[in-house]
Amino acid sequence: MTTPMPLSRRHLLQTLSCGFGYTAFASLAAEAARAADKPQVEQSPTAPRPSHFPARAKRVIFLFMRGGPSQMDTFDYKPELNKNHGKEYGKKDTLFGSPWKFKQRGESGLWVSDLFPHLAQCADDLCVIRSMQTDSSAHPLAMPQMHTGSFQFTRPSIGSWVLYGLGTENQDLPGFITINPSRVFGGPANFGSAFLPAAYQGARIGWEGRSLKDASFQNMRNEKLPRGVQRAQLDMLQNLNASYDESSVEGLIDSFELGARMQDVAPKVMDLSDESRETLKMYGVDEKQTDNFGRQCLLARRFVEAGVRFIELGHGSWDHHRNLESGLKRTCGATDQPIAALLKDLKQRGLLDETLVVWAGEFGRLPQVQYETGRGHNADGFTVWMAGGGTRGGYAHGATDEFGRKAVADPVHLHDLHATMLHLLGLDHEQLTYRYGGRDFRLTDVHGKVVSPIIAS
Amino acid sequence: MPRLTIQPFVIAPLVALAFGSIAAHAADPHPDKTDPLTDSEREFFEERIRPVLVNRCYDCHTHEGGAADAEYALDSRAGMRRGGVSGEAAIVPGDPDASLLLQALRYQGDLQMPPDEPLPDSVVADFEHWVSIGAPDPRNEDPEELRRIAQAKSAEQLWSFHEPVKSELPTVANPEWPRTDLDRFVLARLESEGLQPVPDADPRKLIRRVHFDLTGLPPSPETVEQFAAAPSTEAFTRIVDELLNSPQFGERWGRHWLDLARYAESSGMEFNFTYPHAWPYRNYVIDSFNDDKPYDQFIIEQIAGDLLPSSSPEERDEQRLATGFLAVGPKRHNAGTRDFLMDMVDDQIKTTTEAFLGLTVGCARCHDHKFDPIPDEDYYALAGIFMSTDTLYGTTKIQYSRHPSDTIPFGPNAEEQHAKFQAHQQELAKTEKALTAKQEKLKKLKAAEKKAAPENKGDANKDNENKNDEKKDAAKQEEAAEDAAAELKTLEKEVAALNAKLKKLRAEAPKPPQYAMGARDGKPIDTHVAIGGDPGEKGEQVPRGFLKAFTVEGASEIPNEASGRLELARWIASPHNPLTARVMVNRVWHHLFGRGLVPTVNNFGVLGEAPSHPQLLDHLAVEFMEHGWSVKRLIRSLVLSRTYQLSTQKAADNFRHDPQNRLLWRMTPRRLEVEPLRDAMLAVSGQLDAARPEGSPVTALGQQLARGVSYEKLNPANTHRTVYQPVVRHYTSYMLQEFDFAASSLVVGDRAETTTAQQALFFLNNEFALEQSEATARLLMEAEPEQTDARIRLAYQRILSRPPSPDELAAVREYLQGTSALLTEQYPEEDRRQTVALASFVQTLFGSAEFRYLIHSPTNARSDALAAAPR
Repeated sequence: MTTPMPLSRRHLLQTLSCGFGYTAFASLAAEAARAADKPQVEQSPTAPRPSHFPARAKRVIFLFMRGGPSQMDTFDYKPELNKNHGKEYGKKDTLFGSPWKFKQRGESGLWVSDLFPHLAQCADDLCVIRSMQTDSSAHPLAMPQMHTGSFQFTRPSIGSWVLYGLGTENQDLPGFITINPSRVFGGPANFGSAFLPAAYQGARIGWEGRSLKDASFQNMRNEKLPRGVQRAQLDMLQNLNASYDESSVEGLIDSFELGARMQDVAPKVMDLSDESRETLKMYGVDEKQTDNFGRQCLLARRFVEAGVRFIELGHGSWDHHRNLESGLKRTCGATDQPIAALLKDLKQRGLLDETLVVWAGEFGRLPQVQYETGRGHNADGFTVWMAGGGTRGGYAHGATDEFGRKAVADPVHLHDLHATMLHLLGLDHEQLTYRYGGRDFRLTDVHGKVVSPIIAS
Repeated sequence: MPRLTIQPFVIAPLVALAFGSIAAHAADPHPDKTDPLTDSEREFFEERIRPVLVNRCYDCHTHEGGAADAEYALDSRAGMRRGGVSGEAAIVPGDPDASLLLQALRYQGDLQMPPDEPLPDSVVADFEHWVSIGAPDPRNEDPEELRRIAQAKSAEQLWSFHEPVKSELPTVANPEWPRTDLDRFVLARLESEGLQPVPDADPRKLIRRVHFDLTGLPPSPETVEQFAAAPSTEAFTRIVDELLNSPQFGERWGRHWLDLARYAESSGMEFNFTYPHAWPYRNYVIDSFNDDKPYDQFIIEQIAGDLLPSSSPEERDEQRLATGFLAVGPKRHNAGTRDFLMDMVDDQIKTTTEAFLGLTVGCARCHDHKFDPIPDEDYYALAGIFMSTDTLYGTTKIQYSRHPSDTIPFGPNAEEQHAKFQAHQQELAKTEKALTAKQEKLKKLKAAEKKAAPENKGDANKDNENKNDEKKDAAKQEEAAEDAAAELKTLEKEVAALNAKLKKLRAEAPKPPQYAMGARDGKPIDTHVAIGGDPGEKGEQVPRGFLKAFTVEGASEIPNEASGRLELARWIASPHNPLTARVMVNRVWHHLFGRGLVPTVNNFGVLGEAPSHPQLLDHLAVEFMEHGWSVKRLIRSLVLSRTYQLSTQKAADNFRHDPQNRLLWRMTPRRLEVEPLRDAMLAVSGQLDAARPEGSPVTALGQQLARGVSYEKLNPANTHRTVYQPVVRHYTSYMLQEFDFAASSLVVGDRAETTTAQQALFFLNNEFALEQSEATARLLMEAEPEQTDARIRLAYQRILSRPPSPDELAAVREYLQGTSALLTEQYPEEDRRQTVALASFVQTLFGSAEFRYLIHSPTNARSDALAAAPR
């Protein structure tokens, strides 16, 4: 044999004494792992895995607008609705025209209302699906369905499925991160892994409605022991574990390396102090209205750069049964600039092409007025948009009827959206299965069709 | 009936027509060949017809893969004869010219098949001949029917659907090695593959193993050292018996069962209401394992305990509490009634069949089971049983909770107490309502009085002309004011009286009894098959019943007036049910050996894996039943085997041959689940409160949306055993979430085992890890006030159940010195610094593989450790 015997992790560790610095150990060990014995070590459950076919997108940023944003006031221009404002609709309803003006934007001429002045500048990157449908117009059901495909059973979140399917590029950070999720309507089940192993559950930062300023992952800090002692602990620990010839124990060794790196890396990634003043300003950080979602978006970009697979940002509530006008002004005002900044920033860094950004609520709203100033829920027709990640920019897919009530052309069911998201990530939604209790489960259950027209050629 | 053997073309179509029906009886000139076919007919079809169908037609014309013209399916006899959408018969047996199929093959009319080019003339001639002799077709009926036949066949073939039988004990080449019958089966199999078992486990590690396996707690250093000083089978047996009889046994094995019972204290799903009364079922399970309740009885109680006769109120309570099994599942409290019920029944069917039978019957809700011989009628036969049951989950009607139900009051005089409490509650509500009404009225009166008071009357000297009127008004007003004042007084008195009454009522409030979740019989009804799982799409009505894939000797029919739950329970718990004992024996094996003899512990169906040692599994199952379904006896017989007591060390040859250790040449190293992990840390630190806590913290919360309750209230800090921690779906404690606790909405027989960076961060930084480390350090310092070495030794013994090797001792000494130096700045005080340094070392042992796994000592520590062991 001419090639040198590969150094196993175990052997390497055995040769190290207690006094040896942990940093040196970690880099040596990592190198050895890359070079030699990776296949023998029990792989981290989130180690990167190849996609089923070449992917258009490497990762996802899911902007979840909880409550159901109104489509006819934002991205689904309905001149007939405005013309018939105040007229009778059905037996007892009255049509409610949009209080906002729509304009065609960018070279594509995509319709975007005045609620999104910043995002309107990114119109040519937006791929709007105007014909979305889902199975329930009740938040408690629609929200879990948006996240897991099902409201009848507890199922893994789409982020968990993606992490299970692809692993994650950066083992120093969780592969599925959710920032400011909501506690309502399934709450943590919306980023839970259900029957998939716990390694695929979402790592949470903050809760909806709370300031993100001091939020962090759990267990990243140790006030009691200085770093030097932690290093000594790790040295001793790895020595204790080193002499086993067991793949599961080698997985344990790995986990401590990763954990130690994560507690160094995560706070750095989350520390915005190295961002330029221009960048912070662009995202609206420290501006009263946009601060929280600006931080969320900026964190998302930083996580993207760091190689996180799936990032969800939560914002609520868009449930405007009353006072639609002031309500939408507030929610759009809080998110428009940060989201536009995120898209522009990703683009200028060359990351938009490989990052799929999805903006969606659990459903949309009705064309008629409710409680004099608002709109009710609508699961038969609503709008989501995507950007980057191999989607067709400046394109609007499908259509609702003249008033925006129902999807009438090219309806896209939620399962189709999920299938398409997986497809853009190089995953076949019918092949991404997990056997549990004698059955192969899928995110899309027995449904789902990839919506090919929205994919860029 | 004699078969027609007429040569082709002898009977012309016209002749056939002329003979009509008379001829059909006489000579069968209009032949329609169904089974049995003659050999030559069969041969003709197989050689001349079928290959053509397969190669030239099936691409489009099949039931399954059909493309454009799938309406005409050629892959079955019935389909082929029936024809397509036109409604015209494609084949008239005996009459090629009247058969549409032949017209198409001959390219005679509009319909020309195959579409690209005609078949060769000789092939067309074969088809003509075939139709003319009656189109003999051995393919039996519809694919639907075929599938059923295949399923019946698979039921017949599936090993697990036949009752277990004991076979003769195998002979072994090395009769010295086996200690029990179990060992003979294992050794025989190893020998047949040319393998030898590894040596027995180190005595210390064996004691550690059996403690964790039977009680989920580490052994005391004294127990370990005593056994290590004089290890013997007798001593080991004594320890095993002690452990089996300790109350900690039920806490360990009860938790295994709670995984299967998807036990939780909230409804999960979109609203997730807390269940204040779930815990009695938890305690019932723990107590049942401690009492070594016969497993068949345990099954019957959980499904139908409420229907059993009882000889004492205590027994009655126990049996009713058991039915909590049916009630603690996830629920969608805001759904419509039909969906709510069907989903609840679905959960009950899934849990019952998967937990007891290792079958995934839930798959048959929307269609016949794809793999197992379970048609959807069987699912709805079971659904009828549960539909005829009132599930008592005990949530009340509040916002988002539309389906209230009763609960089960239990304990001494519970019913009486409950009645009193209810009456009191009603009285309280009534009084409160009356008080509120009076208070409202009072408030209104007072507001009016204030308005009428002189200072609020405005300018009195406004206008002289109005003075008279004002006087009159004033008189009137005075009068009114007097009336009002009187009324006010009365009202105030009434309010005071009601307040006093309320105060008294509250002070005298009778104590409510304890409540539990469970079930009772409702109105017996049969359900309809819901086509595609949609209850709106009614299929045929199915009588209540059991699975039909296998028969259970002696099972009783369901009486018309009963739900059938008791009969179902007995059908499952019957010694003639081929699955029940095997599934349970395999579960116990799984927990003791890290992997079932059937690795798919929840699936004994077609997709389940075959057993590695089928005869052993059957042997154990039969023994289990013969010895009164005693779980303790079963566990005892497994841990007393030599196979259980093997070392976890690898043997290179064996490992190459069987890396997964399916042949049991060693003990598989196993990771501690989150409960023994947390409990062991508490035990080591001396903080464990071994007593069972009263009820559950969730009881005090009442019925609430879990989302509105803080983490601290849902998971209050405590030092009780982990099995007593609240399990609120989706809001379990951080530690449970990170260390692969059972997903509490699912029937979990085999927990996932993931190793993650977050777990490492738990050991490095989590408050609990730091607290327990420090408490351990304090305990070590108190126990050994003088000597650092003694502290280190004690730490190793308490945490790893062995003394350190001299090298380890030296290394830790060095570590403590170095660490102390690093801590000087943060902890200037000497004593504190020592504690923190020692705690940081303890913390490290907690994170080690040797603590987190049931595994041998690291190779570099072991050999000299034993020599250096202090007495």
